[in-house]
Amino acid sequence: MDCERFDRIVLDYLYDELDELTAAAAKRHVEQCARCRGIVAGLRATREVGALPLVDPPEGLELRILDAERQVRERLPMKQRAGRAVSVLAGYAMRPQLAMAALLLLAIGSGLVFFRQRPNDRDTVSVTERGVAESDPEPLSVLPRGQKGEAAKAAAPAPGLAAAPLSPTARDAIAMRPSAPAATASAAPAEAREDSVYQAALGAYRAGRYREARQQFESVVAQGGADAARAAYYAALAAKGGEGCGSAATLFDQVSQHYPGTSSGYDATWEAAGCYETLGDTERARRSYQALLDEGSYSARARAALAQLDRADGPSEVAARKRAPAAFKEAKPAAGAGVGSVQQAPGSEPAAPKAAPPPQNAESAPKRQMKADPAF
Amino acid sequence: MAAVPGDASDETLMVRYQRGDRGAFTLLVRRHHRALYNFVLRQLRHQSLAEEITQEVFLRVVQSANEYKHESRFSTWAYAIARNLCVDQLRKAQHRRHPSLDQPLGPGDDARALADVVADPKPVGNAEHSAAASQMRATLIQAIETLPDDQREVYLLREVANLSFKEIAEVTAVPENTAKSRMRYALERLRSTLCDFEEYARALR
Repeated sequence: MDCERFDRIVLDYLYDELDELTAAAAKRHVEQCARCRGIVAGLRATREVGALPLVDPPEGLELRILDAERQVRERLPMKQRAGRAVSVLAGYAMRPQLAMAALLLLAIGSGLVFFRQRPNDRDTVSVTERGVAESDPEPLSVLPRGQKGEAAKAAAPAPGLAAAPLSPTARDAIAMRPSAPAATASAAPAEAREDSVYQAALGAYRAGRYREARQQFESVVAQGGADAARAAYYAALAAKGGEGCGSAATLFDQVSQHYPGTSSGYDATWEAAGCYETLGDTERARRSYQALLDEGSYSARARAALAQLDRADGPSEVAARKRAPAAFKEAKPAAGAGVGSVQQAPGSEPAAPKAAPPPQNAESAPKRQMKADPAF
Repeated sequence: MAAVPGDASDETLMVRYQRGDRGAFTLLVRRHHRALYNFVLRQLRHQSLAEEITQEVFLRVVQSANEYKHESRFSTWAYAIARNLCVDQLRKAQHRRHPSLDQPLGPGDDARALADVVADPKPVGNAEHSAAASQMRATLIQAIETLPDDQREVYLLREVANLSFKEIAEVTAVPENTAKSRMRYALERLRSTLCDFEEYARALR
């Protein structure tokens, strides 16, 4: 090993991160080379003397965290709690004994079916034909790329399609609004009301009250109607403004999936791409940009963005990202602490800097702010 | 559900928590809250904010517990959350010129308060020696806190969080070599601050 190579691995050597062979070679080099010996000694002494003394966290922090955990869990949406219950059950269900039992039951069951079936059992045959809903949105997604746009545009006037709620919050929003069910009774006033909700939501969004805006937009989405697609897009934008790309990226993706071929869908795809880029997830960003390559108004921008990504992504960085474990990537959106909050309107308080503010903070936070900082 | 063994890995504890075992979460908090708090404290240089952010890290863990996958180390995940929250705070502080975040603490303040906090817990007979030791620690902490942001976070992730360079690269979203060279710069800077102290000369021998 020479000094140049040693320089490249000196930190791995210092922190024992080398494989045995390289470590042995490095050790031999250090023994022979006064220069490198000096470097290692200096770094080692710095590490030793520079070990940061840890201070104790304020008293009660642990308890406050556990208390907050309990309160957050109580407020978790049913879906997530059900998910946990399912995973517990699945843990039991995956036991081999149960699998064997299930197999046995299956064998007995299918045996019975075969026993019962005789050639002239079929006395009567009844056929029921069911019509396929004209405006079924599903077939759209299997159309080839080129036709997708026109087909979706043709389907766009059927507003009822858009009624699928996008998130648990949307459902909550409806539940909280007792007047909502009445909207089905008379169409015209309902429409007017929806429009005013939409306008109010826009106002809230422009004023930077993102959380409020998002709730209102989501209630418009839940009602369906002509504004649903646009409202869904704005709900995601509001999420981006309030909580950042971490939570908004998936919302944008949902919008582009729910409203393919609409301008809101394309806008959402574009925003999703930007968000993924901000979050450092270039693969998803690339995928979203690629989806826009055939879209007139976006194709040029998408192409430019892709080229930019190719330039920015040095080969080593791509490799580093590929090595990153999947779980970490998954967790990233949740961890992305409001990267998008930079884009908040200047001077406006962030609507929701934290997804779930620690409950007791309301009372204790001001007090703690006043407390002198003994660490300094 | 049976009691969680105290030596279970973080990842096992997290999986148990996903299945509804809250005792496992308690253990995770007990294990990590001190180091996480110190990491955030040195990043933001603000005690009550550090407390709040540490709490927030664990709340995010609770909220996205379902998305956690066993293959990733719990500490990498938790520090990625903490790091992002800190970056966000530092960015906000830049916009708002938050007084406690963007002004380096005065050396006088630092020495006075730090002496109380980090004074050697062992009883030392020689008062002069004790004073010199706390002086050095105060200098060290100030040197760490005034490292450039990108070097400081790598230094803290390595020395406080005990992450490998590969994991640091993941958390900070840079290539591994970049993380290492930031660490090298950080150590060089600290060395230039510490080399006048007697302890350094002693460690060098």
